[in-house]
Amino acid sequence: MLGKLVRPVLQRCAAARHISTTLLPEDIELLRTTCWDFAENELKPIAGQIDKEHKYPTDQVKMMGELGLMGMVAPEELGGAGMGYLAYAVAMEEISRGCATAGVILSVNNSLYLGPLLTNGNDAQKEKWVTPFLDGDHVGCFCLSEPGNGSDAGAASTNATLRDNGQYELNGSKAWITNGYESEAAVVFATTDKSLKHKGISAFVVPKPAQGVSLGKKEDKLGIRGSSTCVINFDNCMIDEANLLGKAGDGFKIAMRTLDAGRIGVAGQALGIAQASLECAVAYSQQRQAFGKPIASLSTIQNKLADMECKIWSARLINWHAAKLKDDGHNFTKEAAMAKLVASEAATYCAHQAIQVLGGMGYVSDMPAERHYRDARITEIYEGTSEIQRLVIAGNLLKEMVQ
Amino acid sequence: MSGLRVLVGVKRVIDYAVKIRVRPDSLGVVTDGVKHSMNPFDENAIEEAVRMKQKKIVKEIIVASCGPPQAQETIRTALAMGADRGIHVEVPAGTDANLQPLGVAKIFAALVEQEKPDLVILGKQAIDDDANQTTQLLAGILDWPQGTMASVVSAGDGALTITREIDGGLEDISVSLPAVISADLRLNEPRYATLPNIMKAKKKKIAKMDPASLGVDITPRLKILNVVDPPVRQAGDKVPDVSTLMEKLKEKGHL
Repeated sequence: MLGKLVRPVLQRCAAARHISTTLLPEDIELLRTTCWDFAENELKPIAGQIDKEHKYPTDQVKMMGELGLMGMVAPEELGGAGMGYLAYAVAMEEISRGCATAGVILSVNNSLYLGPLLTNGNDAQKEKWVTPFLDGDHVGCFCLSEPGNGSDAGAASTNATLRDNGQYELNGSKAWITNGYESEAAVVFATTDKSLKHKGISAFVVPKPAQGVSLGKKEDKLGIRGSSTCVINFDNCMIDEANLLGKAGDGFKIAMRTLDAGRIGVAGQALGIAQASLECAVAYSQQRQAFGKPIASLSTIQNKLADMECKIWSARLINWHAAKLKDDGHNFTKEAAMAKLVASEAATYCAHQAIQVLGGMGYVSDMPAERHYRDARITEIYEGTSEIQRLVIAGNLLKEMVQ
Repeated sequence: MSGLRVLVGVKRVIDYAVKIRVRPDSLGVVTDGVKHSMNPFDENAIEEAVRMKQKKIVKEIIVASCGPPQAQETIRTALAMGADRGIHVEVPAGTDANLQPLGVAKIFAALVEQEKPDLVILGKQAIDDDANQTTQLLAGILDWPQGTMASVVSAGDGALTITREIDGGLEDISVSLPAVISADLRLNEPRYATLPNIMKAKKKKIAKMDPASLGVDITPRLKILNVVDPPVRQAGDKVPDVSTLMEKLKEKGHL
């Protein structure tokens, strides 16, 4: 029943937030309104349920496809919306504000799966592997991490050996694959020439299901539980040379470039979770009474809300800056890493403080604060841990400011 | 019935979810920095026009709005929902509160003269002034038939059948073209502006004009004297039985 009280106040708070966006161009503000409306109407009502049931939101993903979200970064000639990364960052935030699981599915399809294909695929590959994957009915996945290496991507032990018949034989295992179960294609990174170390890694598109491809059990995750995450095993999986992305040895560069862009999306997701946490905390603090008045009037609560708002806006502006740099064709590696780092830490901070503001109610599933807390945590880990982001930022900074 | 050309009117209003605050001078509400969107009934109007276009009853949708420079965003939203081109009758920022239904109806009459549509669809009322007058005034000025509070519109042979929501229930009327209709909430469920359509809308044209160039005098005929918040709801009284209730009601003069 407290949930019912809070809902109308939540909508008013959220509507009020749109004030400060004279920073976005007209078409992106229009996109934001569409995504916000969609998240309010279709994602927020089911987010708790799909988290409890670990249920992939098939209908909602299909609707996102119909809206053009699932292929928003793909060009119009291929059937996508042809939008840039600032639009993508905004969409990711609004979608994730409604449901973080929907956010990760959107981000994996756009940045991690479509990304490599759009930058390195040839026309035939784009027609086969991009165009059918834009409608929300078919999604892809990205296989870089392995049981033996995550941050150390160059140490990939999955290998692809060129056989006499011109096909590559893929052997190895990839771990932590989002959309592992639902995806019908995978971008896979495997070593084609061990002697060249990380310059000997190549990228392939592998259809699913396929001979030699098997899935491990679904991971029982802390958060984003509606999305499937699993190990994918390759056992003598034969792939055509036509499925090689770019040239042999391009893989590591493709992966790094893909992750750069993906970080903007994950920062967007983290911002959505952070914003949802803030809105939950604000709404609750205006209703809940203690010592004769709403707790929102107490400075100890106001301090938390102010810190949350500052961290969110700081992260949001860095993310928009990174996205704009990318859209304008500049180097954005450092800024994307900064955005992902700052946004993910803002998400965990805001989710943590939201629970604190809610007190006991923050600890139970009647309120969404505990789900935001669990969803936020992964944003500091995937697509580059916070530790790796710091190395990337410092590395770029030192290069820029070389004495 | 096919090949119709439709003129749809949209208004930029304070978003329905915003908590309204009265201005310190009590002559209006605070609009500065407040979220604005398309009037909800106007969304129904655009949606109906787009549906008729999908059914090939309509071949062109022109969307028009009278308002400040920011009204262009509202027109762009309508273009993203499926309108073909826009007309922005611009008034200086801050003066849009002076735009009243009679002035707007005259502007639309001038646009009808210019564009010669077969049908005009407006929202039933704007959620800021709740006037519910523009459609009726426009029909009067044009001497066209009107179908207001429409919750169902179907195209027949040379006439539209409209179901109107009235106090007693529902009323069906037949309206010959050209006509003016006002859309009610239950007419349809407005679509989301999809991303491809948002991109397409960027290339659609919005013509700009002003009331003077249309020969319309928009001087307000009504003057707002005072705007106040509704009175704060008083706490009620709980009484132990019906006879006490009757006593209290008599005491307060309600019986």
